[in-house]
Amino acid sequence: MGVWDHVIAGVLAVFQSDPILGVPITVLMVLTGFLLGITVGATPGLAGPMAMAISLPILISIFGYSNDALLPVLGFLIGIMKGATIGGAVPAILFNTPGTPDAYMTTLDGYPMAQKGEARHALRVAHFSSASGDTFSDIVLVLCAPFLAILVESYLDLPEKTALLILSLAFIASVIGNSVGKGLISMGLGLLAAMVATGEDFYPRLTLGQPALAQGIPVAAAILGVLILGEVFKALEDIHRDGQSSSTTQVGQRESKNGPFRLRKLLPYIGRSAVIGTCIGALPGVGSTLAATLGYTSAKRRYSKSKEPNAPGFGQGAPEGIAATEAANSSVSGANLIPVLSLGIPGNAAAVFLILAMDSIGGFNPGPSVFQLGGGISDDALNPEMVMAFGIFTTMFVANGLNWTIGGVFMRSVGVMARIPKERLLPIVLLLTLTAIYVQETSMVAVWITLFFGFVGYFMRRIDMSPLPFVIAFILGGNLEATARQAFAATGADPFFLFNNPIALAFIILAIGVVIFSMRKPAE
Amino acid sequence: MRNGFSADRWLALIVLAFALLVIFVWAPMDTDTGIVERVRRKFVIGDALGPTVAGAVIAIGALLLLLRPGTDRALSHENLLWIVALCALFAIALWLMRYAGPVALAWSESGYRPLRATAPWHYIGFLLGGTVLVGGLTGLAKRKLSIRDFAIGFAASLVIALMYDLPFDDLILPPNGDV
Repeated sequence: MGVWDHVIAGVLAVFQSDPILGVPITVLMVLTGFLLGITVGATPGLAGPMAMAISLPILISIFGYSNDALLPVLGFLIGIMKGATIGGAVPAILFNTPGTPDAYMTTLDGYPMAQKGEARHALRVAHFSSASGDTFSDIVLVLCAPFLAILVESYLDLPEKTALLILSLAFIASVIGNSVGKGLISMGLGLLAAMVATGEDFYPRLTLGQPALAQGIPVAAAILGVLILGEVFKALEDIHRDGQSSSTTQVGQRESKNGPFRLRKLLPYIGRSAVIGTCIGALPGVGSTLAATLGYTSAKRRYSKSKEPNAPGFGQGAPEGIAATEAANSSVSGANLIPVLSLGIPGNAAAVFLILAMDSIGGFNPGPSVFQLGGGISDDALNPEMVMAFGIFTTMFVANGLNWTIGGVFMRSVGVMARIPKERLLPIVLLLTLTAIYVQETSMVAVWITLFFGFVGYFMRRIDMSPLPFVIAFILGGNLEATARQAFAATGADPFFLFNNPIALAFIILAIGVVIFSMRKPAE
Repeated sequence: MRNGFSADRWLALIVLAFALLVIFVWAPMDTDTGIVERVRRKFVIGDALGPTVAGAVIAIGALLLLLRPGTDRALSHENLLWIVALCALFAIALWLMRYAGPVALAWSESGYRPLRATAPWHYIGFLLGGTVLVGGLTGLAKRKLSIRDFAIGFAASLVIALMYDLPFDDLILPPNGDV
């Protein structure tokens, strides 16, 4: 079976899934996820990964652990991921409050435009740029991920794969946050947590004799604790300290007038930011906030050279500023699946939850083997994982289609979400998260473990240590150890297997190099 | 920022001590195989290597932090008080969640266990604990407890309970899997 057979099978897996009210269930789930994502993105204090985390146990309860569950569940999560990015622009423009951190730069020009009565125009620019960046990024994903995976599978053996995992972790620890040292500590703690009760021996290692830990640390409990609860604890404390949640200054859409939509002027900014965002998104650990910042800064330089005399400058309500930011942050969402699907390495929090979903449901192991024709068995056989990968690509394009058609209309109607006070919303999110954990694990011990990791996440945020290296190392720790064990055995117990092979050695030198190079950047 | 020995350097020293503890005490004592083992005349990686490598990564991070401190953010007394308040609230709310049902049915002959899947008994713990958790957290954040916040907490707990309980027969609400 050739590549096109897999592509067609993947597309059919989406459009021929069981229909509900005449609509294939996977398409329906993408639509629901997308609308929920826009709503969540438009709610300051909530974010896409938060909604993905809470939804996952509920989705697994509905769809179970069969292979048929994978595409509807992933479709829903991908819908949230894409919707949240576009939704984040709504409160940024209307209320001067970014719905998601990556929409901060949108406030700089979006809110001044809204104050001038051009809120509707600003929202249209944001939507068009976001949808364009998103589509571009998805096309790059489809073109790059299979080739990267084939390259990895063809040229990299076990020692090189071990070295590649080490390089990825070193890169993530070095580029996230302001301190390489803290990044490495966070990563080391994640590796340590991954080692609890997961060895090959019958004795459950590192459990301190606690029977509750004998099965290992529940993955969902640790990840939701660090990423969701840690953020909730910190946000509530900020409100406690400041007296109230950040006030919003509404600019009514009623007052707004439609400005001219000068597409030709916007396109160069959108194009450049889409490329920046896609490149950033393809690198593990570098998030959409940096993409938005780089896109905005790059556009500002260009704009200062070509600006018309009467046009507003950046920061004073220039549509080009919104276009550059939104195209950049939206183009991260497709590209961040390149390392996920081709290497099995999650690059950001949203990708973590996609991998968690794949891991929980089973039947799909993201990594280089996904794109092997015949699944490594026979050239005549369909590789079910490759079919699933093209099914995932299809759900992304379905989400894109929804973004272009109904995204703009829907995003203009969710401005009201910014009025919900965080101090009321976040405790409910916390209860929902703990309930989701209990439903999955059926044990109060899991709830306590989640709370423990929530405090770990809180402390990390307070001392300015990013929790993302912890989470990614926790997910990859088992894989790294298993690959290293196999590589050691395959090389005849060669203790220098990481240094005897030129590609592996190059990866290790790069890993050390990226740490040293990152040490040189000034602390902010 | 603080004068003298900075917060980041203290953090680095504490983390370094923890890493050394992992490498030299915890990993050797709490694993059954060494770093490398000989199995059937072949050398294989033992269970202690992973934790040792994790400890080494933590130690390297601590040393780098010691050499080059970052933004130097330290935990304040307010942060610690906030954590104590959260711990107290979670202890009360989860105690109520766990024991409210059994206490409410202590008078009956059968007790709570046979009724843990029967409405309305199986909602008691979750609703009471959830109400206290949501209302208490909102109150903590606002520095003011109000009946309205507890009412919102009750409504939210009820909606969450019904959302899980009504459509799915096989899902168990807290704490009914433990009693």
